Amino acid sequence: MSDKTVIELSNVYLKTDRGNDLFLDLNFSLKSGESAIIYGAAGSGKSVLVELLIGRRFVDSGAVEVFGKNVKKRKKRIIRSIRKKVGGVGGIFSLVPTFTVAENITYPLVLAGESKKVIKDRLMKMLTEFSLLKQASEYPDKLTRVEKMLVQFARANVAHQPLIIIDEPLAGLDHKTYDRIYEYMGKLALSGLSLFIVSSLELKSDLPKTRSFQLVNGVLV
Amino acid sequence: MTRIIHIIKELFRNLYKNPGTTLSAILTMTLLFLLFDLFWIGTNTTDRFYQEYISELNMEVFVAENIPDSTVKYIQEAISQIDGVTIESYFSKEDAREELMNIVGIDLLVGYEATNPLPRSILLSFEPEMLSTLKLNEVENQISKIEGVSYVYYSKSWLTKVEQTKSLISDFGLFLGGLILLTVLVSSANNMRLTAKTRAVGFKQMRLLGAGKIILAFPFFIEGILLGAISGGLGWGLIFYVKSKFEITKFTIVYPTFDEILIYCALTGLLGLISSYVGIKRLLRL
Repeated sequence: MSDKTVIELSNVYLKTDRGNDLFLDLNFSLKSGESAIIYGAAGSGKSVLVELLIGRRFVDSGAVEVFGKNVKKRKKRIIRSIRKKVGGVGGIFSLVPTFTVAENITYPLVLAGESKKVIKDRLMKMLTEFSLLKQASEYPDKLTRVEKMLVQFARANVAHQPLIIIDEPLAGLDHKTYDRIYEYMGKLALSGLSLFIVSSLELKSDLPKTRSFQLVNGVLV
Repeated sequence: MTRIIHIIKELFRNLYKNPGTTLSAILTMTLLFLLFDLFWIGTNTTDRFYQEYISELNMEVFVAENIPDSTVKYIQEAISQIDGVTIESYFSKEDAREELMNIVGIDLLVGYEATNPLPRSILLSFEPEMLSTLKLNEVENQISKIEGVSYVYYSKSWLTKVEQTKSLISDFGLFLGGLILLTVLVSSANNMRLTAKTRAVGFKQMRLLGAGKIILAFPFFIEGILLGAISGGLGWGLIFYVKSKFEITKFTIVYPTFDEILIYCALTGLLGLISSYVGIKRLLRL
């Protein structure tokens, strides 16, 4: 695998907890700076795929590599280092309810051990970029669904994470917000980051440097 | 540095977001430690009494009637060879008679001017480490074997009873101490578990962002140490407050020194740390 490969799935086979086949010989590769949209019906395994990437679940056979590191059970340190480089939006990625918006956004920087000044500067940048200045000291339970998503986007990008996983980014959004989020994803894709987007809706395919796949019957087509 | 600030913020968040749990933890632990403190005072005061009384314990060695006075000094020499034993005084027959006269009066001794049936005796005292039934028995056996000694006497049954009582008190103290420590551990661990459980959703997210166990667990560890140490200190604070309000002059109550209280608070803090570890272990899968 080249150094610039962000995600590499090789012959991934996985059964569900009930014993049904979920992934059958799944192969996929995502290079640095590229993005991918995986869409599929509910229950096709999109969220499970996300869980495989961040070490919340593990394959029955085959291999999952993220940033060139094999995601394996018991490799907790590796999984932690991968998670620090991944920004997450939607799905299993939610906000920490006891943190304010500002604390939620800056948490990846705290984990990275950044200085107070860097944290403050990046926070201001993110709050401005996502129009969240007024909500900075609010707790998540006071935010609307869209605001929560914007905070997640800010958090996913604040530490310049090279890979952003976005789970169902546009479901249930009004047109205006849909366009805003879509535009932001386009900006991220252009900025050289890798986006891994999973969605039950078939998205517009004009995101730059982005390939689309459909997850159907346990394989990507 | 930002991580340390984060940990401190998390600690205070734990405390002020769950004031009821925090207060109940402090009150429960303070009450239990107070019980422990009172027993500590009771045990140490009893021990002081015991030491004071026992230090006055003497042994009397009676010299056989047929032994000439000149031989007594050899008996004294043999006794003084025994470790931890000091000869306090020697009572001749005349001294014994005078002593008895001082106790019972001269009238009862009329008719005994020429004949004095009272024995000669040597009064012994002991080093503190010798004052136990076991060691005094050994000394008694050694002295009894000396030629010219007719009888050795000391308050053997009294000493045995006092030792049994002391042993009972310390056994009960150990049991009570163990029970209190266990109760503190269970109660405090349960409080921590509840506090951590209310934040389970947040922990899950923090883990997903790459937070390690240490950064998640540290605020709870510090909280455990703080609550333990504060409760330990509060227990003694209450006792010293009550002490300042009432004066007891009939006997001396033994209180711990400031240094001992500091060590005690450090230990209760350690107990708090263990409790917090037990409380959050499963939740954080430590």
